[in-house]
Amino acid sequence: MAEVTTLTNRVSIQWAQGPIESLAPLSVEGAGAVLTFLGVVRPYEDDRLLKGLSYTSYNPMAEQQLYRLAKRTIDLHQLSHVRIVHSLGFVGVNEPSLRIDVASKHRKEALSAMDGILNDLKRDVPIWKSPVYADESGDCQ
Amino acid sequence: MKIDILLFGPQAKLAQTNRVAIDLQTPPTVENALAALSEALPEIAQTLAASRLAVNHEYARNGDLLAEGDEVALIGMVSGG
Repeated sequence: MAEVTTLTNRVSIQWAQGPIESLAPLSVEGAGAVLTFLGVVRPYEDDRLLKGLSYTSYNPMAEQQLYRLAKRTIDLHQLSHVRIVHSLGFVGVNEPSLRIDVASKHRKEALSAMDGILNDLKRDVPIWKSPVYADESGDCQ
Repeated sequence: MKIDILLFGPQAKLAQTNRVAIDLQTPPTVENALAALSEALPEIAQTLAASRLAVNHEYARNGDLLAEGDEVALIGMVSGG
């Protein structure tokens, strides 16, 4: 795992080169709930079998947007901490490319927040995935 | 005013470039930049309605004015997550 950016004591944004490796769960004082979402590369795209997806981003805007999204969600739902990890580069089928951890005092806030984070990330953050199909030859990177 | 617009993802692939120089007429608005981009790169014209320009890493509105030295990027067809 590369490039850890802890922007505040309540927001962590990280970029992984390739698939996301196993991470210790968030440990946040006073949190009664820690919710983790893992986004995994599906085996098919447009009905074609994939080798995986290749991710690119427009940084530093992507990181800025992720930070604002996390901060906005923390304020809206009174969360304790949000950690977002997103892959760049090639991620193979069944491997994780997105991880979101949300910590809150009670489970209700974490559960409410997670869907909103995903929707906003998919709408606003300048990250792109490009399919690498199984029936194509050449380098995956 | 000449500006460079950065392209990413599928739009860069369609245009076969990650950067395009356009001649921006007065007033140098975001809206005019998108129109000029559509003319310069007709292969991505249909994707522009669902795209936004970012100026210096901030999403811009159609009426915003561009200035010399601004970093301008076309943000469209995002697919993170």
